[in-house]
Amino acid sequence: MERTPHIDVRNLKLVYKTGSNSELTALDDINFTLGKGETLGIVGESGCGKSSLARAFLSYTRPGARIADGQLYVSGVDILRLDGSGLLKYRGGRAALVPQNPLSSLTPHLTIGQHLTELIRQHNANGGITSQQRALDLLAAMELPDPVAIYKRYPHQLSGGQRQRVVIAAALVAEPELIVLDEPTTALDKTVESQVLLLVARLQKETNTTLVYVSHDLNVIARMCERVLVMQNGKVVEEGETKSVFNRPQTEYTRTLIAAIPKLQHAKQPSPVRLADSAPILTVKGLDFTYGRPKNAGSLFNVFKRVSPPPTLQDISLTIQPGSTLGVVGESGSGKSTLASLVAGLVDGNEGKITFDGKPLSGLATGRQRELRRRVQMIFQDPASSLNPQHSVEQIIGRPLQIFFGMTRAASRDRIVELLEELDLPVTCLGRLPRQLSGGQQQRVAIARAFACKPDLVLCDEVTSALDVTVQAHVLGLMKRLQREHNTAYLFISHDLPVVADMSDQILVLEGGRIRDYSDTGTILNHPNSPYTRKLLEAFAIASGHIAQGNLKNVI
Amino acid sequence: MADISHPSAFPSAMRKLKSPALRRALSEPATVFGLVLVAIHLFLAVFGPWIATHDTSALVGDPMQIPSWDFLMGTDQIGRDYFSRIINGGRIALMVSFFGVSLALFVGTALGITAGYIGGRVDEIIMRIVDAMMSIPELILIAILTLALGKDVLALIPVIAIVYTWGAIRVIRAKTISLSMLDFVRAAELRGESRWAIIAREIFPNLTGILGVELAVRISSAVLRISALSFLGLGISQPTPDWGLMVQEAMGVVFTDPWFLLLPALMLSSLIVGVNFMVDGLSRAFGISSSELG
Repeated sequence: MERTPHIDVRNLKLVYKTGSNSELTALDDINFTLGKGETLGIVGESGCGKSSLARAFLSYTRPGARIADGQLYVSGVDILRLDGSGLLKYRGGRAALVPQNPLSSLTPHLTIGQHLTELIRQHNANGGITSQQRALDLLAAMELPDPVAIYKRYPHQLSGGQRQRVVIAAALVAEPELIVLDEPTTALDKTVESQVLLLVARLQKETNTTLVYVSHDLNVIARMCERVLVMQNGKVVEEGETKSVFNRPQTEYTRTLIAAIPKLQHAKQPSPVRLADSAPILTVKGLDFTYGRPKNAGSLFNVFKRVSPPPTLQDISLTIQPGSTLGVVGESGSGKSTLASLVAGLVDGNEGKITFDGKPLSGLATGRQRELRRRVQMIFQDPASSLNPQHSVEQIIGRPLQIFFGMTRAASRDRIVELLEELDLPVTCLGRLPRQLSGGQQQRVAIARAFACKPDLVLCDEVTSALDVTVQAHVLGLMKRLQREHNTAYLFISHDLPVVADMSDQILVLEGGRIRDYSDTGTILNHPNSPYTRKLLEAFAIASGHIAQGNLKNVI
Repeated sequence: MADISHPSAFPSAMRKLKSPALRRALSEPATVFGLVLVAIHLFLAVFGPWIATHDTSALVGDPMQIPSWDFLMGTDQIGRDYFSRIINGGRIALMVSFFGVSLALFVGTALGITAGYIGGRVDEIIMRIVDAMMSIPELILIAILTLALGKDVLALIPVIAIVYTWGAIRVIRAKTISLSMLDFVRAAELRGESRWAIIAREIFPNLTGILGVELAVRISSAVLRISALSFLGLGISQPTPDWGLMVQEAMGVVFTDPWFLLLPALMLSSLIVGVNFMVDGLSRAFGISSSELG
C-alpha cells in the first residue's frame, strides 16, 4: 500500500556563515522519505552534521546557520517555510525534540510540575482534565516512581535518568506526530540507558509516532531503529534498513564505523606470562575511603550533629602485575574515579593501604618522592581540560622531561619527536596549541606526556569516552602497543564494559564503592559471580549482539 | 569542507593576517568602528600638544570668540583656545587612569590568584577585606582618599588604584577558581610542581585575555569617573584642561552656547563607546565569554 510519505526531505542544504562572505556546507543535498510510525536512526562521527539535520526537523538552525536550499515536508507541509504562530504551533505541538543534556534544557528555578503544566496550557493539551492531573499522568506514563513527589521537585533534585524521562514527558505533552531524539542517552549510564531506550520504544509503539534518533552509538541505533542513515561530512553515504546496512555495509566508511565498535566477543585472552606470579607493581589492601570525614567521628558528642557521609570506597583490595591491565568498571558514583585519585595522590587519606613496588604510596602526590611521582602517571578523561590551552605540544610533553630527567629544552626535543612518532602524531604538531588539534590528537598528546616519564603504572580514567568510535579504536590500539613495548601496567577505568574487556587482563566491577566481582577477564565475561555484573553484561550484550547476529528487531 | 575565504572589507591586508581570531574581529564593522575611535583617542592623547599648538591654560585672546584660523573652535569664557583644550582634555585623565588601573590590576591579580588557588583561610581573609572595601560607597571613598592624599594630579593615581583593586581581585579570583578545577592543574600537581610554578606557568597565561579586557574596560570607566570627580571639584582642577571640568564650566552658558557642553561630552562618550565596541568585538573573536567578565 503506497501512501504519501509522512516526512519527505528534498535537496536539503544547510550552510554555516564563517566570515562576511564565506560559508561552510554542513548538510549537502539530503534526500529521504519516512513513513508514519517509522523509526529512523542517524549515525556518524562528531561534526558529520547529524545534529544539524535533527534540528532542521524542528525548522531550527543554530545561530550563524541557514537553510540554503531544499524542502522538508511533514504531512505535506514544508515546515522550513513556516513562521510566526504556525511555527510556534508546530514546535512542541506536532514535532518535539529531546536534547542530549536534560539538565540544560530544564530551567533550574522551576519545579518539574511547573515545566509540564506551562507546556500543557500553551498547547491546550489537557484533554478535559486539569493540567496538573495531565502532568501527573504523563509522569506516571514515564514509569517514574512516585509522580506526585517528582512533580514538586526541582531539576537538580532528580537523577540523570529521571531528568531525561521528564524531558521525554515534556516532548509528549501535545502528542506530537514526530519526535526527534538527539543523543538522549549519551550522558547516562549503560543500565539507565537501557531502561530509557525500553521506555522510548514502548511509547513509540503505543502512539505510532514517527521517531528520528540521532546517536554516535551504533548499538543504540541497531536496537531502536528500523532504518538508518549514515552520514559523513554533511552527506548521506548510506541509507536503508538497519539490518541490511549493519550486516552488509556497502561503503568503506560504514564498515570502519562498525569495525570500530568494541565487542564483548573479541575480549582478549589473558596471557599467562602477564599474570605470572611476579611481585605485583600495585597492591591495595582493605582500602576504605570517605570524602569529608569528620575528624572526631567517634566522639559521643557528635551524635546529634550532622550524619557523616556514606563511604565512597569500602574494603577495596586488588593487585596489578607489571605490564598487565586491571580494568575497573562501574557506573557513575561507583567510586572508580576516587580509586584512581587515591592511587595518583590527588586526594589524601589512603592510610598506607596502597603499596607500589613494595613501597607505601601514601598521601598527596606533592608529598611523595620524585621517583614515585615519575613511575605513576595519570591520563585524564577530557584532553580539553588536561592540556593547558596556552602551552604548545612541545611545552606540554617537554615539561615532565625537564622535571624528571633534568633535560634542557634543546636536549628534550629529540625525545619529544620520538614520543610523537610513537603515537602516530606528525612532527609538525610540535608548535601547535591544543585547540589546533583534533580530540583524538589531543588525547594522544596527553598519552605522550604520561609516557615521557617512562612510567611503570598508568592510571587511565575514562580516557576514550570523549572520542568517536573510530578514533577510540586507534587510541586503544596505540595504548596496547605502548604497553607491550614498555612493559607498563594500566589501571583502566571506564563505564564501557566492551572497551574494558578489550583492554584488560583482569576486571574489577565496582558498585556503590564495593567490589562486586574481581577476576580475570574471561571469567567475568563467561561466569560472572554477582547479579550486578550479569545485569551490566546484559545491558551491553544485547546491544552488541544485534549487529553481530543481525537479530535486530523486537527484542525490546 | 569548504575553505574559509577572506572577508572582503580589506582584502589585501586581511590576507596577511595569520590569526583567524583577529581576522574574525576585523570582519565586524562595530569592532572596527570601536578600534578606530580608540586609535584616534590614543593618537590625540600622545600627540595632542603637537596638533593643537596653543598653550591650554594661557589667555590667548578675547573671550567667547567665534571659530577662526587662529582659534579653530574659538575661545572659551576667559579667552583660552578651545580647540587646544578639547584635544588635550583627555590626556591627563587617560594617563592617570592607565597608571591607576594598571596598578589596581597588578595588585588585584596577585591577590586574586592567591585567594583563588591557595584557597582556605587565605581566601577567606582576602575576600572579607574585599567585601568590606566594596561596601563603602565609591564617591565617599574617593572623597576621603583625595582629602587624605591631596588634590595633586599624581595623587589621583593611587586613588584610582585603590578604588579599582577590589573588583579586580574578585574577577581574577573567580577565573582562577574555574581554571583550578581543570585537569591540567591536576596534572601539574601530580608532577610535583610547586604552588608558585603552577600559578606562574599554568594559571597566569590563561588570565592574559581577561586581563586585557579588564584593562581596557576599567580605563574607560576610570576616565568617566575622573571626569565626574572633576565636575564635582574633587579631581583635576583648573587650569589643567579636562572634559569633566569643561562640562562643569559650561553649566553657566548651557542655554546660550550649548557647544561648550556638547563637545567635551561628545569626546568623553566617543572614548567610552569606542572602548566598549572594541572590547566586545575582540573578546568575542578571541573567545573570552562575557560570563567570565565580572
